[in-house]
Amino acid sequence: MATYTLTRPSALNPWRGLMSELQRDLHSAFRPNDGVFQGTRGVYPLVNLHESDEGYVLTAELPGVSPDDISVSIEGSTVTLSGQRKIEYPVGEGTAVHRRERQSGSFRRAFELPSEIDVEAAKASHKNGVLTLVLPKSPAARPRQIAIETR
Amino acid sequence: MTTTETREIQPREKEVLMSEDPRSGLVFRPDVDILEERDAFVIHADMPGASEDTVDVQLEKGLLTLQARLAQTPAANRTLYAEYRDGSYYREFRLSDDIDAAAVSARMKDGVLELRLPKSVSRRPRKITVEAA
Repeated sequence: MATYTLTRPSALNPWRGLMSELQRDLHSAFRPNDGVFQGTRGVYPLVNLHESDEGYVLTAELPGVSPDDISVSIEGSTVTLSGQRKIEYPVGEGTAVHRRERQSGSFRRAFELPSEIDVEAAKASHKNGVLTLVLPKSPAARPRQIAIETR
Repeated sequence: MTTTETREIQPREKEVLMSEDPRSGLVFRPDVDILEERDAFVIHADMPGASEDTVDVQLEKGLLTLQARLAQTPAANRTLYAEYRDGSYYREFRLSDDIDAAAVSARMKDGVLELRLPKSVSRRPRKITVEAA
């Protein structure tokens, strides 16, 4: 497990990247594949999408992003997430940055869902750095039980 | 599902750590920023999904460990598409002895852990007033 000295950041270790790649490969080899997982691709933010009879639930990992900096728009069956992840440190006035891994900048992703969304009934919430969108299907897109008449 | 994207943010891969305990599920290594201020070190760690109730910070013999255990949420609905998995977080740092261990403080906001590690008083920069003889 990696250990860092706070006062003296360790020199770049060429083996570390290789080791973590190996670990990741090993991990994915033994991970049960449910056929849905896409892996952590180079997109931001990462999202998961679940479906029930009533609608969809889209969750996105947005740690440290204020709800004021996130915008959600829905049109038909397309959901668009956009915003800014602002990370600013007052460098200079006696503050130095020793390690910078957390990324900042703007993002925008659009998702085309399998059916239309009831825009009026959609809800968004933000908790512990996870954005959750509850997206009910428009009434026409919901499954209906059709009674069979007997003659 | 089709998706389109435009961005300037450079995403980092979620790094999975090997877990010694197979029951604990996936363990991710949180991304951190480390700052040094005049009188303290400050660590920001991204731990989406973790709250003040699930995060655990320990400092023992100069080893600082950050961890969060996430309860696996049972998937009530069908998963159509998945880019991330829920799991725990773990990362450790070796601290030098110029940290005032008793004064370390932590807070959680929007899935980000902020740790303040005050320097021990003897290591802070001091201004020495020169007296006239």
